[in-house]
Amino acid sequence: MTGCCDRVTAFETESLCPSCLKKVPAVRETRGDDVFLVKRCPEHGEFRTIIWRGKPEFQGWKRKPTVVRSSESQSTTTRGCPFDCGICPSHRKNACTAVLEITSRCNLRCPVCFADSGSDPAPDPSLAQIAEWYRRVLRAYGSDIIIQLSGGEPTVRDDLPAIIEMGRSLGFSFIQVNTNGLRLAMEKEYASVLRQAGASSVFFQFDGTEDDIYRRLRGRAFYTEKRRAIDRCVKNEIGVVLVPAIVPGVNTHNIGAIIRLGLSLSPGVRGIHFQPVGYFGRCPKAPDNSIRLTLPDIMRAIEDQTDGLMRVEDFTPPGWENSLCSFHGTFLPRPGGGLQALTGHGGGCCSTDNEGAYAVSFTARQWSAPPAGSNSDACCCDSSGRETGTETLDGFLERVKTRMFSVSCMAFQDAWSLDLERTRDCCIHVVSPDGRMIPFCLYNLTSATGERLYRGKAVKSEK
Amino acid sequence: MNFSQEATAWICASCGGSLELTKVFFSYMKGNFEVDLPACPACDLVLVPESLVSGRMAEAERILEDK
Repeated sequence: MTGCCDRVTAFETESLCPSCLKKVPAVRETRGDDVFLVKRCPEHGEFRTIIWRGKPEFQGWKRKPTVVRSSESQSTTTRGCPFDCGICPSHRKNACTAVLEITSRCNLRCPVCFADSGSDPAPDPSLAQIAEWYRRVLRAYGSDIIIQLSGGEPTVRDDLPAIIEMGRSLGFSFIQVNTNGLRLAMEKEYASVLRQAGASSVFFQFDGTEDDIYRRLRGRAFYTEKRRAIDRCVKNEIGVVLVPAIVPGVNTHNIGAIIRLGLSLSPGVRGIHFQPVGYFGRCPKAPDNSIRLTLPDIMRAIEDQTDGLMRVEDFTPPGWENSLCSFHGTFLPRPGGGLQALTGHGGGCCSTDNEGAYAVSFTARQWSAPPAGSNSDACCCDSSGRETGTETLDGFLERVKTRMFSVSCMAFQDAWSLDLERTRDCCIHVVSPDGRMIPFCLYNLTSATGERLYRGKAVKSEK
Repeated sequence: MNFSQEATAWICASCGGSLELTKVFFSYMKGNFEVDLPACPACDLVLVPESLVSGRMAEAERILEDK
């Protein structure tokens, strides 16, 4: 007899062998409420990686994509996905975000680093090279895209303001700086300088509310500096998105505290974007499933640690990238306390031709500073301040613009969890030094021995 | 044309009466709203002007549909 938890269903996909990076068939294998990516390399054996753990139910976590590919390919098909980036004809989605790594230098030495910064930094790309990257993004995707300046740590470049100004002058309206915030904390006027250059937002590395978390993840305590940097960004009307890397046993307990702090600093802090840790660089032994966090783990932790202020059912799959890559929720504060969730399972049913541009503009607005001087206290109250349950359309739209708080999470793929069905839907593309557009997870992917799939491997570009 | 002007520019298709600005309540997904719209006091028929449908109402709809 087979119990419900022994039942196995499978979905066929493709992946890479974590040891040799050769393409191998894979299946998403469902066992009870858990889902594993299972793959077998003829040479290196079987790999079984948890990709979904517990509720909400995996089978119900789907959303009809609202954004499809319309951009031209930048490369041709020769070896097949994922070796032809990019992007190649088999890619299914336009980019929503283009990541420009403007330096590989960093002012921290973090054990956790997607970008592998600091060990042997390459020379910074020239302004002319960065201008060419901007132009490539324009040609590939147009200007309705989020530009994220990343690194390394982009603020170590003294010409960062000039790089921001260059992007704005080329027509990009939303430029976000991915930063650890150290320079913002150390230099009083630096936030003002970035704002005047045209920075709309900071993607702000923020792993928790306790110094011990920073000691373990970043090598030293600097919670005080983090708070100072946030305050300076808010004061200078730079939208702040807190970005915690979540590592089992280090800061999983702090998820609720991060949310409560973010809410207390809203609307200057626009939202939180959780990033459960992935495994990159040399990992001779496959990371055990017990040290992996999946999207449901984070959703349930949010509900548990906020005492239900945000609930699992308030979160929804993405409308742009693959459903298994992220979740998000948007919330409005209620006048008497608590939150009104605007999102939830089941979303809209229809899409329009201009969905992509709208989604980018919506995200850009949400991650930018709220409009100055607006009536952010408009709410669904009568003249006596009592909540009526209804509000005017104008009041609602005003509150969305000024008070909405977003919580999202992105599950990055490493060599063990890589699922090419997901990768082909990626909308976060890194512009490689040679100008190719490469899905973020593929760009950062490394084998168990630390061999890279793309980073540091330039080819002579055709365009 | 504002909604007051819309109210005077239309008559009720059902009874031929004049429209008056009336507080109308509507719900969509997780939102409950009120808006003053031209309506027939006799028949309760409501005119939802195109400018509202394609403007603020569409914007609220997209937010609630999370697009």
